[in-house]
Amino acid sequence: MVVTWRAAALMGLGVVPVLLLPANGTVLVWAAVVVLVCLVDVALAASPRRVAVQRRVPASVRLRSEATSELVVRNASGRRLRGVIRDAWGPSAGAGPGRGNGQRARPASGGSGRHHVDLPDGEAARLPTTLVPTRRGDRAAGGVTIRSLGPLGLAGRQVTLPVPGRLRVLPEFASRKHLPSRLARLREMDGRAAVQIRGEGTEFDSLREYVVGDDVRSIDWRATARRREVVVRTWRPERDRRVLIVLDTGRTAAARVGAADSTGAPRLDASIEAALLLAALAGHAGDRVELVAFDRTVRSRVVGAAGPRLMPAMAESLATVEPVLLETDWPGVVTQVRTRMTQRALVVLLTTLDPAAVENGLLPVVDQLARDHTVVVASVADEEVAGLRAGRETVAEVYDAAAAARGDLERTAVTTMLRRYGADVVEALPDDLAPRLADEYLALKAAGRL
Amino acid sequence: MTAPAVPPPHAPTRPAPAALVNEPPVIIGDDTTGRSRAANRWRRMRWPLTVLGVIALLVLFLAVVRQPTSAESYAPDNPESDGAMAVAEVLEDQGVQITHVTSVADAVAAAGPDSTLLVTPNPAFFAEDQISSLSRTGADLVVLNPDYSMIGAVTRNTVDSMYSELSGPVQPQCDDPAARAAGALELGPGLYDTSTNGDAVRPVLCWPDGMGAFAYARLDFPDRSVTVVSDPAVIRNDSVLDEGNAALALWMLGQHEDLVWLVPNPMDVSTGDDEPTPAERGQVNPQMPPGSAPVALVAVLAAVLLALWRVRRMGPLVVEDLPVLVRSAEATRGRARLYRAARASGHAAAGLRAAAADRIASRLGLARSSDANTVVDAVVAATNRPPQQVADLLYGPPPADDAALAELARRLDFLESEVYRP
Repeated sequence: MVVTWRAAALMGLGVVPVLLLPANGTVLVWAAVVVLVCLVDVALAASPRRVAVQRRVPASVRLRSEATSELVVRNASGRRLRGVIRDAWGPSAGAGPGRGNGQRARPASGGSGRHHVDLPDGEAARLPTTLVPTRRGDRAAGGVTIRSLGPLGLAGRQVTLPVPGRLRVLPEFASRKHLPSRLARLREMDGRAAVQIRGEGTEFDSLREYVVGDDVRSIDWRATARRREVVVRTWRPERDRRVLIVLDTGRTAAARVGAADSTGAPRLDASIEAALLLAALAGHAGDRVELVAFDRTVRSRVVGAAGPRLMPAMAESLATVEPVLLETDWPGVVTQVRTRMTQRALVVLLTTLDPAAVENGLLPVVDQLARDHTVVVASVADEEVAGLRAGRETVAEVYDAAAAARGDLERTAVTTMLRRYGADVVEALPDDLAPRLADEYLALKAAGRL
Repeated sequence: MTAPAVPPPHAPTRPAPAALVNEPPVIIGDDTTGRSRAANRWRRMRWPLTVLGVIALLVLFLAVVRQPTSAESYAPDNPESDGAMAVAEVLEDQGVQITHVTSVADAVAAAGPDSTLLVTPNPAFFAEDQISSLSRTGADLVVLNPDYSMIGAVTRNTVDSMYSELSGPVQPQCDDPAARAAGALELGPGLYDTSTNGDAVRPVLCWPDGMGAFAYARLDFPDRSVTVVSDPAVIRNDSVLDEGNAALALWMLGQHEDLVWLVPNPMDVSTGDDEPTPAERGQVNPQMPPGSAPVALVAVLAAVLLALWRVRRMGPLVVEDLPVLVRSAEATRGRARLYRAARASGHAAAGLRAAAADRIASRLGLARSSDANTVVDAVVAATNRPPQQVADLLYGPPPADDAALAELARRLDFLESEVYRP
């Protein structure tokens, strides 16, 4: 049972009879009249438990893009359904106000996902609500609340129906803007680009006729001697190499990075952006990409997806990965890599160069990995720390800068140690990590180190 | 060759989303009936209701078993030593109807001819018009320990009060039936006769203390009598059994079938014969217009409905797990605060110097393992500064205080900017 402002207004109208007959008895009689009218209104309201509700939600949407949650409401109550219907979503789903849908449904004020409805018996309406999710992962919908008011709009009945709904929010993949330029570089390496340069790489591809502009060093004199024309050798980068991306979802991935005046985003999100760009690039380059999200156990895994199925599989499996507040089990990571990769591969560890965590976790095991594989350690730096480093205004800021400098030195030491063990290190701010890691991959490919 | 399209994480060319292939379920109702909801509500409210019921039963039981009593002094329902329940009980047993009132207005309304009006001591003062209302009721008036203006008004200035001391039981020594019945008693004498021969009715005063003060005065006006007792101990529970107190009290108060027992309230300003009170005229207070009280009640009820309208939420809140909100930079900030709290300006300076030397060395193309002399020589070559100054700056003694540290940080920045070669 609910009352509306109209019931309060009706009670307020009681001032008129009370002024004509000023006594407390008049007030009681008027209050009784109001209660009676409200009860009659409730009795005449359509039963919200006899309204059929269906929630249609797209299976998945990319972070920060628009999706529409649509309620299909059919009035089977035998009476006209007037009132408000709320399509409830959690705060991170970013539900906007109800969009309304013509005469039958209008947007209602008072919060997100609310619709005024006026449905004759037996009719149905679609109630669309715009969702702009602000967090990755599975966003579960709440119930659907139906507030059915009586014909006078004084009072009504309300019920919340458990209507299932789930929207999977995929990673944003904002780093895909870097993909075209890296693909162009890949094609240049491949020797297929429009510019006449020799394909870089180390794998012999084919012989072809010399054209002006080709590197004279690539002329194959033996083949030239056999034919009438000058022949050059072309190389191409290795294909069908294995790339294993290991995403560290331990406690250091949970910390937020970003400018000091923003709320920032978890370190893991920047790692996921880098992983997606690298996977897209490596997939185009013809390498076989696998992914493991690991802290003390495997949280997510992509194996055996290639071609057009790779990126959907990556997005789907990375959508629900969340940081866990546990220390990462680095010997376990080594075991995972050994069981997955029997031949030489590029192993990319997306983690954090936190000196204490690296010294106790990654450093003792990285040489075991680097012996068998090419190892790249990619770490997300913090923009806020970068800001602290430059502070000189007050004494407190100078101390902040000193602490940041000390942290840098320790990280440099750790980086040096990692390089000594044979791992490459890429450390960059969240927005730069993905392109830097892609460049590192291209460099390794060009050098034939995969 | 054209660049291939950039695929988003989920390919847009995929067939229809799964949600539309697997039709979502249609929900009608929440699987409850009126009966199951009532049962649910009852199950939820069972224990609170039980507790409330037990409390209500307990209160009811106590109310039936224990008579209502008060702690008001001289009240007929106060069994404590300063109460007067003993006298009141005896009077009721003898068939006297006692009306317990606490305001002058109620007393005036209840008292009339053929009744007795008892006024117990007032903790404050009666106003002039209250006294005149009380003396105009036509009832026989019994006043205990009245204040100055009260005694003058009710006795028409024939009796006055004064301070005097108790001096043991004395005989009444007067011609008054009540006094004769009571005999000797011990009450504080505080009344003396101020009547003159010109007064129509002269008081009868009893129980003198030998110095002109009396404990009891009685005036018989044609229509009623007025009795003044200077000491209220005559009806108090703790002293009513002393000497002849009980006889005097019963004689004074038991004259008529009806006894109006006024225990004055210091906040009471009613007089009983003036305009109707603000509450009777429907006013919130005397400043508001008549009829404002019911209007205010309407407003309150409307406000209650408004509150009910606003308080009902449109369905429950939707919960979700919140992410970690710890910033990565907090470790660095915490370390900076530790440095500052410990006044470790030397340690902080060492960090700044090492980081600056590291950056300068890498800009000048020196190996990371270069020693101090190599770095200083390279910087001197790059900046044309005196070697001693550069060595002091990069490897000198630690700064003494915070100001020196800030100065050092500025000078290191300056040196670095000089070294930088684009």
